[in-house]
Amino acid sequence: MLRESMQMSGGQVDVAQVTRGFGETAEVAHAAALAEFAEAVVLRDAERAAAARARLHTVLGPEGLVDAAATVAAFHGFVRLADAIGIPYTTAARGRDVPELREAAGINAFHRVRGEA
Amino acid sequence: MPASAFQGCDVPVRSDLVDAHERAWAAIAAPGTWLTGARRVAIAAETRRARECALCAEIKAALSPNAVRGAHDTLGALSGAEVELVHRVVADPGRLSERWAQSVLARGLAEGEYVEIVGVVAMVMIMDTCTRALGLPDRALPASQDGAPTGYRPPGAKKRAAWLPLVEPEDAVAADGPMYPSPKAGYIYRALSLVPQSLRDYWALASCHYLPGDVVYQFDRTIRAISRPQTEVIAARVSALHQCVY
Repeated sequence: MLRESMQMSGGQVDVAQVTRGFGETAEVAHAAALAEFAEAVVLRDAERAAAARARLHTVLGPEGLVDAAATVAAFHGFVRLADAIGIPYTTAARGRDVPELREAAGINAFHRVRGEA
Repeated sequence: MPASAFQGCDVPVRSDLVDAHERAWAAIAAPGTWLTGARRVAIAAETRRARECALCAEIKAALSPNAVRGAHDTLGALSGAEVELVHRVVADPGRLSERWAQSVLARGLAEGEYVEIVGVVAMVMIMDTCTRALGLPDRALPASQDGAPTGYRPPGAKKRAAWLPLVEPEDAVAADGPMYPSPKAGYIYRALSLVPQSLRDYWALASCHYLPGDVVYQFDRTIRAISRPQTEVIAARVSALHQCVY
């Protein structure tokens, strides 16, 4: 989905950042700040999340911060649905996530893929 | 009645998000398809308990989730199978397996109960994560509502593509009620289809946080205050940290 959205906006993205982390050089505005916020929330690090929240508020404004928080939250649900019901991951993004893309993103190292290898 | 989940937030929260949380908590408190309201609220409480479970932390840190034995820190209101399901889905979802899912069912959970529990857990995770991300405490759990579960199982449900039965869009019938925004709805959309009411409750909440079904594949369009690529940076990073391939 990230690659598709970047292509539609005329840009490209190094998909390895999905697993390695997003740096300031990413072609998405404030990608590093967004990723830092996401990581702090996932890791339940309240102090780190507060700092990331303040930064997002500065660069995105209050509405952007709320939508960033809502998106982080949504994916705490999606991952649990997908992984508890065992839906086929080869259908992700309507089948656009081909094996080569998963390899480039580092996703083939994940437990579920390795478990089926 | 408990206060709004966003009470005290230092930034304005869009009203559809506030309303979605209130509707979702009310849905959790009501009788479901296979579970009473009291059991659903107990699952919500256990979902929060799982975040502090020492065994879950040990499992998460282990090289293999199967290498650790012990008892979950539980509130004691649910069966052993329910506790195992709730805790593992909360704490280490990326390392679940079909064998594990079958072992949970073999301990006495029906398929519909399994799916409905996963739906409640996922909804609580969304709401608690959203408020925590904004620096707010967990909202108080709602009081459960009396009433009997409906016991409805969609006649078109089949175990084929996933570990649990799904209703493919072409197998849905009128009695299931509305389920899919399109016949091409992705598998993530179909995940809870064995329990259509859970599917509807979940997506009413999730779409309000991410994107509605009719916008998801319109990559050049955003209806949020962040761009679509910014949305997907967050989505990809959260999924990767959970080791979610999907």
